[in-house]
Amino acid sequence: MRIIVIAVVFLSVIAGCGPGGQDAGGEDLLSLSWDEIEEQARGTEVNLMMWQGGPFINKYMTEFVRPALEQQYGITLNISGGQGTQIVSLLLAEKEAGKKTGAIDLGWINGETFYQLRQIDGLFGPFADKLPNAAYIDWDNPFINTDFQQPVNGMECPWGNVQLAFIYDTLRVPQPPASFDDIPAYVAAHPGVFTIPNEFTGMTILKSWMMALAGDNSLFEGAFSEEVYKRYSTRLWQTINEIKPAFWKEGKTFPETLSALHQMFANGEVNFTFSNNDGEVDNKVNLGFFPATARSYVPYPGTIQNSHYMGITFNAPNKPGAMAVVNFLISANAQLQKFNPDVWGDGTVLDMEKLPEEWREKFKSLPSRRYAPRREAIQDRALMEPAPEYMIRLYEDFRKYVIEAD
Amino acid sequence: MKRIDPASAGIWALFLLLTAVPLVFSLVYALLYSFGLTGVLAEGFTLRHWQLFFSEGRFFSSFLFSVGVALVSMGLAAATALWWVLRYRRTLNSRVMSLALYLPLAFPAMVAAFLAFHWLGNAGLLSRIAWQLGWISEPRQFPDLINDPWGIGIILTHYAMATPFFTLMFKAIYADNRVGELCLAGASMGATRSEQVRRIALPLLWQKARPTLLLYGVFVAGSYEIPLILGVQSPQMISVYAVTKMNRFDLDTRPQAYIIALLFTVIVGGLLRWGMGRGR
Repeated sequence: MRIIVIAVVFLSVIAGCGPGGQDAGGEDLLSLSWDEIEEQARGTEVNLMMWQGGPFINKYMTEFVRPALEQQYGITLNISGGQGTQIVSLLLAEKEAGKKTGAIDLGWINGETFYQLRQIDGLFGPFADKLPNAAYIDWDNPFINTDFQQPVNGMECPWGNVQLAFIYDTLRVPQPPASFDDIPAYVAAHPGVFTIPNEFTGMTILKSWMMALAGDNSLFEGAFSEEVYKRYSTRLWQTINEIKPAFWKEGKTFPETLSALHQMFANGEVNFTFSNNDGEVDNKVNLGFFPATARSYVPYPGTIQNSHYMGITFNAPNKPGAMAVVNFLISANAQLQKFNPDVWGDGTVLDMEKLPEEWREKFKSLPSRRYAPRREAIQDRALMEPAPEYMIRLYEDFRKYVIEAD
Repeated sequence: MKRIDPASAGIWALFLLLTAVPLVFSLVYALLYSFGLTGVLAEGFTLRHWQLFFSEGRFFSSFLFSVGVALVSMGLAAATALWWVLRYRRTLNSRVMSLALYLPLAFPAMVAAFLAFHWLGNAGLLSRIAWQLGWISEPRQFPDLINDPWGIGIILTHYAMATPFFTLMFKAIYADNRVGELCLAGASMGATRSEQVRRIALPLLWQKARPTLLLYGVFVAGSYEIPLILGVQSPQMISVYAVTKMNRFDLDTRPQAYIIALLFTVIVGGLLRWGMGRGR
């Protein structure tokens, strides 16, 4: 028995002290020309980990992206399901095991995952500038070149741009609260039909609400400020706790997932659901999941707009293939397809001014959103993502000061 | 001196390698992680994670809630299964009843949780039936049977999953141990029906089923999908609590997830040892 314990301690220490994060042949790659990278990518397999919770998104990837990559590069794209936390967990485990060649090449990530992956040095790059199609990206847009107040610096490549929106049913809610200031009165007058999910989207609502209470978005620019957080989060908890008894289930619990909240909205159990994609309501109505009377909007003074990105993992076994895939995903054609509300309805990261006239026209001639507001109509209500620490603290304090508060 | 057979020593070594070593390895790894001695973000020996963990003070409420859910759902399921086996044993042999007992065993926990969500929710099927019958004026008046602080939805779902399993188990034990014949023998010596059940059937069934019941209890207390979908944020069952710490946006809470797993394993291991020991 003693021998087993000694062996185990030894193995544990070895596992923990292994070479953390070796680059799987990536540094030389960045010195190659794009033609050489493309040549290396041809006929290879690329493993992508991404959230697969949206039927329209899945369809876009399997019926458009995968065949196009096969045809253009002979690349076989293998897609596995997993959100940011799974990508971080996988890379952490691989780093801790000293695994030089990882299981995935590419991950669909956004701000909080980017923050975590930068902490563990889990990304390969800077690679975005190497991609020919990156020339069309709207790099001057702060909602694209900065992710949760962190400069992207080519370590991830923008893929889509979205804004938090409230979704409601016009039959049940003829007049939704026009601003965050109006929410308490609405909730108090309609008890039991309002709640927020206790996950990423819910925290984005809380961030937007906190910024609305502050009344000055510039306070949340730059690095995390303990003072700003304390002052406005206290106000936020006070506001929410005053109306908490009128929340769904009297605010004693909150849906753990956004899909559960969508389900409750579809069932008529609650009057609102939310989406980090301002165009998602069109998807859901087209799927028949939400009624045709569902609409989305952005309350005053605005909600958080952010971009989502593609990141290549530090130990990706096929970095050239991953780069070719990302280059395709940001091509005008792939972005156009994705932008179509009947396909996915995801905002583009391309700058229309940089695009050739032909593609600009194609974007303009797409069918417009039917149930969601046009992007131009809500752009003046777009708030920048504050530093990641705001989300970390809100998540913890929401439980402490709201869920567990008497 | 007793001679060790090389073949059996090899089998034992293989058995230990496949069972005990990975388990002990995981526990030691969790311990090292919790003290900041391993992991990508390891900062060297520190008690900071343990201090943060205990200052939060959620572990014991979460642990007690998990054990409570396990005891109640298991107790109800075992009582129902015993009642069926002792009262309707012959009916259970019919093809329809066999199907009814085996079918729920094929349901993964995630499916069972979603079914419960659709049946028991405020806008679920039961709520709509109650509304159609005029018992409530609108579906959302239906009582909170899921996402409730008492874990009613979790208990009912585990109860629904465990009852068929326990019924089949008790039925098999009843047949294998000739409990029926022993009861008849008791009857021939003057035992009443109640005495046959209390003094012969129940002690025998309990004795044989106890290890399985204890292990199933550990499985329920450590279950994840059902409390994730049907539970509340506070109190949280232990697995949900640990996974939340593990998958938090803040990587600094990961060592606390290891502490939860470590403490849960040690406490449950101790309880199991005590429970098994008492039965000998």
